Amino acid sequence: MDLVLVGLSHRTAPIEVREKVTFPEGRLRPALLNLVQACESNEAMIVSTCNRVELITDGARNGSVERVKEFLYSYHALQPPFLEKHIYVYREEELVRHVFRVASSLDSMVLGEAQILGQLKRAFLLADTEGITGRSLKRLIPHAFFVAKRVRTETQIASSAVSVSSVAVELARKIFADLRGKTALLLGAGKMSELAAKSFMKSGVERVLVANRSPDRSQKLAARFGGTAVPYCEVDRYLLHADIVLVSTNADSFLIRRSQMEEVIWKRKYSPIFLIDISVPRNVDPTVNEIENIFLYDIDDLQSVSSSNMEERTQEAALAEQIIDEEVANYLHYRSTQNLGPVMQRLQKRLEEICLEELHKSQNLFRPEDRLRMEEILRRTAKKLAHPVMVELKRPGITPSQRLQNLEMIKKIFDLDEDG
Amino acid sequence: MSHIMSGLLFNAAFGFYVIGLFHSGVAFLSKRDLFLRVATASVGVGFLFHTAFLVYRAIEMSYLPLGGLRESLALFAWTVSLCFLIAHWRYEVKALGLFLLPLVTVLMLGTVFIQTSPIPDALRNVWIYIHTTFMFLAYGMLVVTFFAGVLYLLQERELKSKKPKTFYHRLPSLGVLDDVFLRFLIWGFTFMTLGLLVGVIRAEQDWVQGWYQDPKVIAAAATWTIYLLLIYLRATAGWRGRRAAWLSLVGFASVLFTYLGASWLGGQHSF
Repeated sequence: MDLVLVGLSHRTAPIEVREKVTFPEGRLRPALLNLVQACESNEAMIVSTCNRVELITDGARNGSVERVKEFLYSYHALQPPFLEKHIYVYREEELVRHVFRVASSLDSMVLGEAQILGQLKRAFLLADTEGITGRSLKRLIPHAFFVAKRVRTETQIASSAVSVSSVAVELARKIFADLRGKTALLLGAGKMSELAAKSFMKSGVERVLVANRSPDRSQKLAARFGGTAVPYCEVDRYLLHADIVLVSTNADSFLIRRSQMEEVIWKRKYSPIFLIDISVPRNVDPTVNEIENIFLYDIDDLQSVSSSNMEERTQEAALAEQIIDEEVANYLHYRSTQNLGPVMQRLQKRLEEICLEELHKSQNLFRPEDRLRMEEILRRTAKKLAHPVMVELKRPGITPSQRLQNLEMIKKIFDLDEDG
Repeated sequence: MSHIMSGLLFNAAFGFYVIGLFHSGVAFLSKRDLFLRVATASVGVGFLFHTAFLVYRAIEMSYLPLGGLRESLALFAWTVSLCFLIAHWRYEVKALGLFLLPLVTVLMLGTVFIQTSPIPDALRNVWIYIHTTFMFLAYGMLVVTFFAGVLYLLQERELKSKKPKTFYHRLPSLGVLDDVFLRFLIWGFTFMTLGLLVGVIRAEQDWVQGWYQDPKVIAAAATWTIYLLLIYLRATAGWRGRRAAWLSLVGFASVLFTYLGASWLGGQHSF
């Protein structure tokens, strides 16, 4: 495998550096073609997200790294040592591992987030439609997708929510099981409650009621996500029907009091209520949480659920790393044994060619009938010469990456063309 | 020969239950779904062996194996694992295995250690079998009701504490638990009512003297009243969650007393 990866990510470069080298989605295609031209590569792809820019090309041994760096500098009009201390370069096993980790979202800023896989897929698709994916990329990248899927299904790395609005939805699901047919009530209007209301709607909440002191604003807000505006003075009545209540009013004191909620829950026959208070200062009496079947979360509570879910993900990451180890070994083993046969055949053919060439040069020394026998002898000699090489390559003790290196070396020494 | 066969079937059932118990424990600790699938599959296989064991015994002895405490324990274990499988596949309450599988194992273990006393000939008839089977189906379902209530309490505590830990992630939602609680309560109550009715009619027909003074009958009536109260309070005052779980705890204790405790006070029931 002759691939090399040059890149920088949120781990090595601050946003001020990253933003200077990203490739916007619309301009990715010309950039990729430029890269191919600049590096004279047969295979290339560019992964560009807000957290990472990574370029993979072939020609690891032919000075591609320098050419990729030059391309980055010239394409983004930067002056040389600017990127130097942020850039990392991976080859061979390290490259395989890195690509697998990126695809599985182990290298992401938010561990376990799902977007990176889609971005990687688009990057590969673009390179593929441009016809600049070959043997190496076509094996490596699909395998990375497979690894990502394994990590996703065999670990819990992405199973719990980490953003505030998804935490709210997750909690609602832990209370109600199914959000279909449920009613949400929005008190007050704010960016955050709008976001949460939208994700509730996406998760199946049937009705979203909006109440605001200004009827105008509630009308507008309701219209934005297909909710219903209700008069603020009748909130008490609607509270009875709301399974989820989002409070983001800007009052100075508690708008929702304990006695009020006690009455509501009694009238609802203790059917559970999920109450989210995202106003600061809080507008719901915190002791409301003590009432049976009412679950009150303020903004800090949501944050703490989010960070505890994040911890859960971090624990799962250890397991994911094991899967990565396993898959890197599988992949390298597969790659190294898969090439073994063809390389050995070519080596033997090459040795035969060398021997026979010499025979041809001195063919006048032999009688024609001896020539045939000499050819036979030289063929066997070639076979015997190739044998110890094959034994060494097949030796069970060596690691797949060593085997790959040996293979590359033999290909180089005997000038064995990949497709020859 | 026949003893070897029924012994084999019983041991196979027991063995698979233990494998299931072990894997459900591992699944809970490791959070891997694979172990859970192994656990359920082995309980399923164990259940099949268990069923085969009961059928074989019935054919072998030409009556349903319901004499004595020992055989009733085996039947109880059978209804509990049946309910576990229903709860698992129909309602996907996977965490119930944590409680139900140890119970099944203990019941099976009890079967091994308790000597059986043959059922009196006078009581061998189809009504007794229906009565007993219904009662144990009811017990099995009410056990699930009770543990669904326990899980509800655990999950509710997690949600109220706002610091989600293992239970939050591993337990189903309150809505599902409440649903399972209610369904098993209603079915369990129905079977219990039918079982008691059959028992009463049978006792009346046979002119069993003073059947209503039998300690077990009195205990069963009390248990039945507790569950009736639970359903009533649920329907009218919306008793669910914490209150319902506590009341089902009382009901479950009463079931245990009816089943195991009342026999020691004498009476006509052999178990």
